Parts: sequence; structure tokens; C-alpha cells
Amino acid sequence: MSKTINFILDGKTVSAAEGETIWEVAKREGTRIPHLCHLDKPGYRPDGNCRACMVEIDGERTLAASCVRKPSEGMKVSIDTERADAARRMVFELLAADMPAQAESPDNQSDFWAWAGSMGISGSDRLPSKFDGAEDAGNGSRPGIHDVSNPAIAVNLDACIACNACVRACREVQVNDVLGMADRGSHSIPVFDIHDPMGHSTCVTCGECVQACPTGALYEKSLMDESGRKRAIQEFDKVVDSVCPFCGVGCQTTVYVKDNRIVQVDGRNGPANENRLCVKGRFGYDYAMSPERLTRPLIRRDDAPKAGDMDLRGVDPMTIFREATWDEAMERAASGLRTIRDRDGGDAIAGFGSAKGSNEEAYLFQKLIRQGFQTNNVDHCTRLCHASSVAALMEGVGSGAVSAPFTDALKADCIVVIGARPTINHPVAATYFKQAAKRGKKLIIMDPRRQDLMRHASHALQFKPGTDVAMLNALINVIIAEGLYDEQYVQANVEGFEALKAKVANFTPEAMSDVCGIDADTLRDVARTYATSERSIIFWGMGISQHTHGTDNSRCLIALSLITGQIGREGTGLHPLRGQNNVQGASDAGLIPMVFPDYRSVENADVRGEFEDLWGRTLSPVRGLTVVEIIDAIHAGQIKGMYIMGENPAMSDPDQNHARAALAELEHLVVQDIFLTETAWHADVVLPASAHAEKTGTYTNTNRQVQVGRPVLDMPGEARQDWELIADLAGRIGLDWNYSDISDVYTEMASTMPSLNNISWERLVGEDAVTYPADAPDKPGNEILFARGFPTPDGRGKIVPADLLPPDELPDEEYPMILTTGRLLEHWHTGAMTRRADVLDAIEPEGIAAMNPREIERMGLTAGQMIEVETRRGTVQAVLRADREVADGMVFMPFCFAESPANRLTNPQLDPFGKIPEFKFCAASVRPLPMADAAE
Amino acid sequence: MNIQVSRKRSAKPKGRQIDESALKEVRDLLGERPRGSDLLIEHLHLIQDRYGCLSAAHLAALAEEMRLAQAEVYEVASFYDHFDIVKEGEAPPPPVTIRVCDSLSCMMAGAEALIAELENSVAGSDVRVVRAPCMGACDKAPALRVGKAEIAPAAAEAVKARLDKGAPFEPQMPDHQTLAAYQADGGYALLARVRAGEITADALIEAFGNAGLRGLGGAGFPAGTKWKFVRGYPGPRLMTVNGDEGEPGTFKDRYYLERDPHRALEGAMIAAHAVEADRIYFYMRDEYPEVLRILADEIAALEAAGLCEKGFIELRRGAGAYICGEESAMIESIEGKRGLPRHRPPYIAEVGVFGRPTLNHNVETLYWIRDIMEKGPDWFAAQGKDGHPGMRSWSVSGRVKDPGVKIAPAGVTIRELIDDHCGGMAEGHTFKAYLPGGASGGILPASMDDVPLDFGGKLAELNSFVGSHAVVVLSDKDSVKDATLNLLKFFKHESCGQCTPCRGGTEKMVALLQKGGALDEEALRDLEAVMRDASICGLGQAAPNPVNHLLVHFREDL
Repeated sequence: MSKTINFILDGKTVSAAEGETIWEVAKREGTRIPHLCHLDKPGYRPDGNCRACMVEIDGERTLAASCVRKPSEGMKVSIDTERADAARRMVFELLAADMPAQAESPDNQSDFWAWAGSMGISGSDRLPSKFDGAEDAGNGSRPGIHDVSNPAIAVNLDACIACNACVRACREVQVNDVLGMADRGSHSIPVFDIHDPMGHSTCVTCGECVQACPTGALYEKSLMDESGRKRAIQEFDKVVDSVCPFCGVGCQTTVYVKDNRIVQVDGRNGPANENRLCVKGRFGYDYAMSPERLTRPLIRRDDAPKAGDMDLRGVDPMTIFREATWDEAMERAASGLRTIRDRDGGDAIAGFGSAKGSNEEAYLFQKLIRQGFQTNNVDHCTRLCHASSVAALMEGVGSGAVSAPFTDALKADCIVVIGARPTINHPVAATYFKQAAKRGKKLIIMDPRRQDLMRHASHALQFKPGTDVAMLNALINVIIAEGLYDEQYVQANVEGFEALKAKVANFTPEAMSDVCGIDADTLRDVARTYATSERSIIFWGMGISQHTHGTDNSRCLIALSLITGQIGREGTGLHPLRGQNNVQGASDAGLIPMVFPDYRSVENADVRGEFEDLWGRTLSPVRGLTVVEIIDAIHAGQIKGMYIMGENPAMSDPDQNHARAALAELEHLVVQDIFLTETAWHADVVLPASAHAEKTGTYTNTNRQVQVGRPVLDMPGEARQDWELIADLAGRIGLDWNYSDISDVYTEMASTMPSLNNISWERLVGEDAVTYPADAPDKPGNEILFARGFPTPDGRGKIVPADLLPPDELPDEEYPMILTTGRLLEHWHTGAMTRRADVLDAIEPEGIAAMNPREIERMGLTAGQMIEVETRRGTVQAVLRADREVADGMVFMPFCFAESPANRLTNPQLDPFGKIPEFKFCAASVRPLPMADAAE
Repeated sequence: MNIQVSRKRSAKPKGRQIDESALKEVRDLLGERPRGSDLLIEHLHLIQDRYGCLSAAHLAALAEEMRLAQAEVYEVASFYDHFDIVKEGEAPPPPVTIRVCDSLSCMMAGAEALIAELENSVAGSDVRVVRAPCMGACDKAPALRVGKAEIAPAAAEAVKARLDKGAPFEPQMPDHQTLAAYQADGGYALLARVRAGEITADALIEAFGNAGLRGLGGAGFPAGTKWKFVRGYPGPRLMTVNGDEGEPGTFKDRYYLERDPHRALEGAMIAAHAVEADRIYFYMRDEYPEVLRILADEIAALEAAGLCEKGFIELRRGAGAYICGEESAMIESIEGKRGLPRHRPPYIAEVGVFGRPTLNHNVETLYWIRDIMEKGPDWFAAQGKDGHPGMRSWSVSGRVKDPGVKIAPAGVTIRELIDDHCGGMAEGHTFKAYLPGGASGGILPASMDDVPLDFGGKLAELNSFVGSHAVVVLSDKDSVKDATLNLLKFFKHESCGQCTPCRGGTEKMVALLQKGGALDEEALRDLEAVMRDASICGLGQAAPNPVNHLLVHFREDL
């Protein structure tokens, strides 16, 4: 029980909790003391510098800043005195004196002007502006006070009050560490890096500073006039609470709409983001308003043959497709699938649902395939991301979901991040890791590429690509050899310890050091740090999973946590950082060939019977094929028809030539999407569907938090809601579905998923986010799993030891480099959305391949030139980027660029358990492209 | 919406990339030195000293090497006056920098004319002339430094002659008492007795109480009480010595450290022992290169003699920021950051350097410890006037015949200081006004020549204070309005910029004082009020003192 402090505020006795400030107590008591530098938002400590919130304290010589001052017992505090009021007013006059007039301000509705207006202050007629006269004309070396070099944010420092909010936003909240407060006195000025133009700095355009700035000195260009000097949009038509469409973090948003266009997105105080957003979430919304949106159903022209190597970039799609009525298109779509089913059986059909869609859409999609075609050939891009992690987790701990939210990094003493680059792929999750490191927690980063987080890390291990098992087994070896494992925990909760002990006996740090490239002392230190910290948590990403030994990699991580008992408590556990905004939910909803919703096996007769009763049809007892297997099955002539909703396998699947050839080979392909994607080029029917911003639905983030997305825009042209299209198709293949609203779908889905017990549609809409599992309708969900054992048959976690396996395709003389693939901060997945988001595409406008500058120099290449990257599967051209993060002997390519499609190069070899391809490692060669050959 | 982007982006990741050769240079320069972020200012000095400036490439490389963000390095580098940042495409500064003091005493001695003359005669591609705040040579005004070589009093001819002699422009080292000499004189015997437990911390605290020893950096807090407070907070504890003697007109710490450095060092080690401090950070202003050398040598000598462990006393070099004389700003600076004063509470005795309970003392306070213990508290107390125990070191400058550091009783009057200690007013000058406590203590008229000068008391009633005991004497030849403007320009230049009242107030006061026509006294008074009431630290709170006194006591100068 913390103690209470009683004090007197404006004559009234009030009480404060320990640590509470005078400002907070006053707010609670109904008085909002003026404030500028104090943001009163989660994550922002009060700074007390603007002095707008001064109060008088009996017996003190000077006034006190109420935002930082904590009351003491019996203290007499007065807000409403002449002296305090005069000081507050004078502060505003001082600041207003240097500012452009309200009407000329970058944001005439800013907090500053609201407060100033409430005091009747509109400027100063007696204090000269510091911008008058020559004094601040500058010495020519300083960039000006107006800076529009960032594509999304305008900087107008004549409106800056040096309140430091942007610096706290950048350094303490997002921990991007780009902004600083430079110089001093009246020259104090927020700067980017070494006083660089914002757009040329290391700024990642997260926009946290914009959201924090109380004056509009940093402001969204989307709300301003062409010059980026003044606010142009003065009011909104609607303001909607929703959730971000991009990654698995699941940031809650507030979306501002004017004239059916999104003009601003702010972070909202959701459980996973506490008001924070990244560049995609804040500035990447305009893809939904792209002129390239599909607005009418398309049917392939009879004179447009399919070809795997067709390239419709820059081609008028009407030479391939014709517009059709909805009825014709739907009938064509349905009849093609029906024909194949009736002729070749349901197993000749396959469906790819989408982890970008809602839970309800995922549920309906898998239901359509299973119920309508009696096949389990339904999968989605989880196969390409964390299938191996999920396989290992199901085997080891009986559940594929995370055991603790990523925000638990702040509760942990030791945080391991391996094979993940969260500052790029989960930027808001990364803010918590960086904050934890700043608070002195041990942060252990393991990645073959250097990365931003390593600057914050206590241990940064840049190990040799593909040697995860060697490194992790060495850690396990140390923990067992030095007796650092939790014997009691192992005895009570773990199977397979002895086998593990035997397996890793030879994996000494000394023996593994050469293999993984990390010295033995470091391995020992890391092992000891992880094992002996009170709370250790492991995060991982696709650097672990996208290997032919991806399941083994995950098994090692599971073993680490099980033998040390670093699981089942706050601040501990296993957290595969899920990629797509709804990959957790789509998987939960059964968009997986082996399982029904909630991971219940299609091979289990009891489970199947339950769904047969519910859906009124006989269901297939055979596991379906996975993503890459489906592509192979097309080539083998087994699969002839596909329904692909919101996925882009033509870009995302490995060995792209092979994948696209398969798509072209299909007898009937129905693609439902918002754009004419590279996959849709091969379609027979294209159904224009709804963007995230146009629909209602629930989405489950990486933390198991089910959240609600709401519509903010009208759909373009004749585009229709995805769920209605699935239902329409269902009707046309003979199913009798009857949903009047998306909430009906949720309710049916939840009835098949014990994990969603106690989480009704009404509860979700009311609370906006509920973590599953929840024990009661009125109790918050359980953030931590496995506190009392595991959901395995015997309640114990199972260790499966892993052996050393090399990557499938090692460098050789012909292909001497290692190609690894991944993402860029600005571009989501295959780029279908983000390449059509102006700000994002402006920041990363063209296909690149990155190599270390040393390697570039050795090879006689020049950064910025076009190069050709070749593997056994194809060649791709890209702009060469010099990037010190990439190790010698490596090439990194993002897979989002249609003009430089990295997946033309990747190795489709699969992990035997997770069926995930080895995107992270293949042999490649690099050569300069003569200027004449550089096509673009 | 105006979206611009550089197409060159694709060739590299965002922002300035690390220049490998700059990185190598920085690594070579840092050698085996630790990379902890608290050493940022020290490392910036290494680069500035070696390359004459801080290039953007070096700053980025230093950030990489210290695992800091570029902004973290830049904001610190740009805060301190003694760093010259040179961005890509900019010319580096000329190899020789002449810093001319333009603080009050030097201004009265003709600094403006000197600056103008130097600008016309020697400034060029090889030499630049810059203005600088007080360098602690007020008794020899006007003062300047060519590189690190001090010339005071300075005339353009002497500067030209020095420039002709050429580099290196190193300081002329004063004769000081070395460790051996100090020990021969009985030095460090007291420390030995304290360490041996013969004299306890409680005994020391009691002695200082009886002696009336107060903090002589400006605040006058009773020294023994401070020790008691610090000891009251759970360890581990640290100690700092504030050698950032930046108050214009003050040069007493320099005086002692250039002559008898070990007396202060011994005092520091005794204090550290008494509060069980793990380490002493000795923060010395960069304006005193002679003192920095003496301290570096003598601390090394102490280590060699086994009187303290290696690294126990860590010398930290300021970089040109008056605000770092404010103890919490100094602590920020020791931590490698911009010198922004902290909010109180908590006080540094509880949360100081690196968050640990910290004992901070001014140099002179420590200097008297040995004498008090050897000669007795009563001896020390008796040096002062009635009701004003102790002696003080007055830095006297301005229009007196014999300026300098004057040891005189606490409670002395300006009249006594001028007549009894400084040989009277300078030839041809009539006493008109005086600054009892540097730039911050206000300006009193000659009519108030009978005020006892000490902490609090009558002075405080006059909105004035004795502070660091820096007394500047003005004569009938001086304009108090000009002096006030000089002081406010100083505060404007030295305001850290953290809080609105001080950042904006000092700047607006200068603007109002410089504006032609009648002064807007109401605006000045309103600024004074907000600065006094709402500034975070003493700089902003005291900065309006001279303006207040100008308006009250010197209306004839308006």
C-alpha cells in the first residue's frame, strides 16, 4: 500500500498518491493548469521547462512547476494567485512574442494557441520577436527555420518554443534518437542528427514528434498548404477509432477523414502501442485512396493467354481484362471452381486466405474451402513467416501463440532478440526493447546483420548466417554444464532434459565458436546472463524461422526457456514476433491446412465431427497442402483451381519464376484484392474488394490482443466487402450461408474457438482490445500463458534437441555470396500497399540490394550503380546500396519491389516440419550491370 | 501535399553514413580510453585539440564509437562555446583563435576598442578574434588568450608580437607548490589523521560549524551541514569539486590553484573520506589551462605517491559554459551532457552524479579545511567582523588602484575594501557604484558603501548578494546602463535555454535595453518578475538584479 500525502490546494485539503505531481492532483480535482511542455500522455515524463504551469507554494521563495513538483505532507499550494497567474501569462507572452501570428502559424489550432486564447493572449506588442533584426539571420551554416525535406512532416521552427517535447518523443518514447536540443539560450533549437535537414537525417518518420509538438512547429504536411507553412484543413468530417493495417504489433489509431480522404492518423492509447505509431501506420494510409484501386470486377479476355513471365507493369490492364457486372463476374468465378470440383474433386481446389484480412474473413474463407470443396487445401502467408516457429511451439508447449506480450520487455531483466529486426519490422514493439535497454536491462541481440538495436544492446552477437543451432546449443551447453538450469522447474514441468543434455554435451562454446563466429567468452556470458537473470524473455523473427532448419532453431529457443524456467511468469517467456497485422488471428481462425479454428486437427474425428455438425457437410479428414506445396501441386497437375484473397504469392513465394508459372498454369484462378497485384495478372476473374480502412472487423495482434478495426472510407466504385464476396461465392457453389452482419460471423467463429470464450462481439466493440484467453466476461484476458504447466497432453513442456544442419544451398565458386531477404521499414511485405503510399514510396522509391561498403570496394563496384544479383533460380537487377549492417560476403534484398523481385532468387527448399522455405539463405553472385543494360 | 525526396537515397541507408577514415582517426585518438557516455565532453576535447574543430564526420564517428546517436553528440558539442563544429562543405576555423574577454571589468578597461583593433589588424585567414566571457583575469583587464596563451593586460601590439613569435600558443605556467613542497610543509598529515580515524567526520563537521565555514562558490551553505546531509543518504556516494569559476569578476579559485593546489586537493580528499565518497570528480573550467595542467600533474603525483588510488580523483574539463558553475548543471556536464540545471527537489545531496548522493564543494571552501583544523575553528571564525565569522577571498577589479584577490573579513564594507585593501580608487576615478557579487549580485550605488558584505543580511534586503565575492568597482566614468547591458548580454549568452523565463527573459531584456528611446520599464519589470519567480535556477532568477538596480538606484543613467 503506497502512502497518501495530504496537502492543501487552493484552500482545499486534497490527497495525492506517492509520486503524483501537483498538476496531476489538480487535474483530478477538476483544474487543468496551463501546460505546454508537459504532455500528460503515457510515456512522457514531465519536464518542467516551459513554466506555463507555475503555482505558488507557501514558504518558498520562487514559484514551482506543478507538472514536476510532488506535494509533501501539509504543503499549501495555490494555483489561483496574482503572482502565479502573472508568471503563467508572462510565459505565454514571451513565447507568443517569437511566434508567427496565430493565423500564420503552422497549426492555428495547436495546444499553444488554445491555452493562449484562454488567457486572451494573441502575441506581444511590447516584446520584440527574436526573429526581428539581424541577430538570427544566421551565419549561413545553419539550415533555415523552415524545412520541408521530409516527405511527410513540415518543420517550422519559428513556431518552436524549445519545450523539448519532440526530443522526449524521439529519444525517450520511440527511442529513435534522431532529435536533439542543440545550441543554448535563445538559440536553443531542436535538430536532427548533426543539424541536418529532417529528410536527409536518420529520421525514420515515425511522427511521434509531430504528435507531441504543442505548437505545430513539427506538423503533418497532409494537413497543410502546399508550402508546408500553414494549416489548410481546419475541420474533419469524421474521426474514427481503429487499428493499424500493417504489422503484428497492432497499434490502435485514430483516423481523421475529410472529403472521404484520410488526412491524418494519430496513435491511440492501445495496449500494444500507448499512442505510438511508425511511419507506415501514421503516414502509409493513402494506398486505400490510390487511383490504382480496383473499382469494377474484371474478367480475363478470351484473347489474353496466361504466361508465367508476363509483366503488366506499365501495361494497360484492359488489354488483358474486361470489366464485367458483379453478377457475371461472380458467376464466372463460382462456375470455374464448381466445374473443377465436380470434375476432379475438391482436392483439385486450393485457397490462399490472407493474414491482412480480419478474423471474420479468415474464418469464412477457410470455411468456404473446407465446407464448399471438402478439402483442407487452405493456407496463407503464415506458412512463409512463422510456420516453423508454430510447429516447434505446438510440439514443445502445446500452443502456437506467444506466452507473454512484447510489452513485458519492460518487466524483464534480460531480453533476447534473435533473428529479428524489430526496428524495421515491428517498430513500435522495438520502442519497448530500447526503453528497457535504456533502463539498464540486459539486451542481447543476435543477428548476422548488424542492426539499430545493437547500439542499445548489452550483448551484440553478429553470428555467421545459418549457424543458429550451433550458437544456441552452445548456450544450452553452458547452462547445463555450469548448473545454471532450474532443476526444480525441469523436474516439475519438462520432458526430455536428459536427451538434451546428452545432445549438447559436445556443443561447447569453444567447439562452436568457429562455427558461429562468436567467441567462447561471449557465448558463456550470454548463457549466464540469460539463465541467471530473474526474468528473461526471448523474441524472435524470421531469421529463426525462414530456414530449412527453422523448426530446429525454434526448438533450441524453447529448450533455453524450459530448462531455465524462464517462462510462465511476467517478463519471461517465448515471443515469436508475428508479422502481419492478423497473422495470429488468421491462424487462430483456421486458415491452416492441418487444423480447424483454434488449431484443432482435421485428422481428429471428434473435432471433425463437431465441425461437420456445425457446417452440415462431410469434411475432409486429410491435411491439406501448404503454400509452397500447392504451387508444386499445380505443376504436378493435381490442383487446377484457386481462390486467392488478399495474398500475393507471385511476389511473396520463393523461386518466383516457378511460382508464377504455376499460377499461369491454373485452369481457373479467382483473385480477390484491392489492387491488380502481380498474382492477379494470372487471374481469370478479379474481384475488387475492400481495404482495411473500409471495413469492420477484428484483428489479433502478436500479443494475442483481439482488436476492432472500423470503417473510415467509402469503398471506391463498385468494390464490395470481402466477407460479402466470400459469402456470395459460397451461395453460388451451393452453400447455404446466412449472415446479416459481420458480427454474426464473429459470433459463429467464437463459438468454435474455446480461446475466445468470454470475449463477445459486444465486449470487443466496447473495450476495443481484449487479450485471449479471458477467464470471465468481466475479467481482463491473461497476458501470461503457462503459469501452471502447458496445454500438452501431460501438462509438461517437451524438449526436442536439435542437431547441426547446414543451410540447403551453400556458397560455392559460381555463387560465392550469401543472399538473404527481408523487409524495409517503409515497405510492407510485397509492397502492394506501401508502394502505393506516397510518403512511403518517396522514402524508399526503388529496388535495392545492399552490401557492405568494404565488400563493394573489394568488388570494384560503386554504391548507387545498378547491379545484377543471380542465383540458380534467376537474376534480378537492383540499385546497389552500401550498408555497413550487411556482413562481408552477404547481399541483402528486400522482397517488396516488383522491379527487383528478390523472390525470383530465393530457394524454395522447405523446413520438414513447418514447410517454410529458406528465404534467409541461398547462394548468389553479384555483378555490375553495364549502363546500357540497365533497363530502368 | 509537398513530398520531396532525394533520389540519391537508394545508394545508402538513411542519414549521414560513417566515414571509415574519420572513424579510424577517432579510434586512434581515443586509444584505450573508456567509451562511457559520461566521457563525451572529454572525447570532444581530444578531437577539437587535435584537429582544431569538430567535423561532422568526426562527430558521427565519435557517436558510432561511443554507441551514441549523432544527435546526442551534436547537442552536447553545440552547447559548449569551446567547440567549433564544422559541417560538410564548411571551412574550418583559422588555426589561431584569440578569445577576448568582453565581461564587465575588461569592457571597462577597453575591451571593445581592443576587439575592434584586433579585428582590423590581425584577424584573417590564420587568426580569428572571438568574444568570450570572463576568463578570471579581471585584475589585469583587458584580458585575452591567443590560443592558450594569456595576455593580460592586453594591447594590440603585444598580441601582434605574440602572433609573430608563432605557435605553439601554450599557457605560461605559474610557479606553484608541488606535492613534495606541500608535504614538506606538513601537507597531507591532516588527511592521514582523518584516514587513521584520529579525527572523525563528526569532529570535522563540528569544527566547520564552529568556524562558520560556508560554501564559497556563491550560495554560502554551511559546509558541515552539507556533509551531514550527504552522509544521511545511503551510499554509495560521490563527490564533486566545482572549479567552474565563471561568475564574471571572480578569480579567487584560480588564484589558489595556481599557487597552492594541494591545499584544496587535501581538503577534497578529507571531505570525500568524511562522506565516504567512492570518487571525486574535479570539474575545472576550460578557461584556465594553467590550472588544468597543474591539477593533472599534481593528481598524477598524488597517485604516484600512493596518497590516492588511480582514478580516485577524476579531472573533468569544462568547455565554455557559465551555467556549469551551477552545481546540478555541472553534474549534468560531468555525466557528458548539456549543462542544464536540474529541478529541485531532489537535491544533489540525495540524487547527484549518476543518481548517487553527492557532496559538491567550491574550491575555496576546501582550501580552508586544513587551516581550520590546524589553527582551530575559533581562529577562522575570528577573522571575520562581528556577526560575520571567517575570512573571505575577495576578487576585486574595476576602478581601484590595486585590484586582485584580497583576503579580508566577512562583513567588510566596500569602502573598507577599496580604501584598506585596494589602495583606494584608481587615479582620476570617483567611486560611483559597485557589484558586490559578480554579474548576478546586482549593482549598488556608492551611497550604500556601509553595507556589511556577507551572505544574507542587509544585502539580501537590497535584492543583492555577495555570491562568489567578486567585487567590481565602477566610477563616474562608467555608465550603469552600459554595465547593465553588458551583464544582461552575458546572461543571454550563458542562459542554458531550458526554461522560458530565462531563455526568453534574458534575450528580451537585452532587446529592450538596446532599443532606442525611453525604456519600457513596465515590460522590464514584468520580465523581472517572471524570471525571478519562474526560472528553474539561480541564473535566470538573479539575471534581472542589475536591471532592477538600474531602475531603482541609477535613474540618472537611463
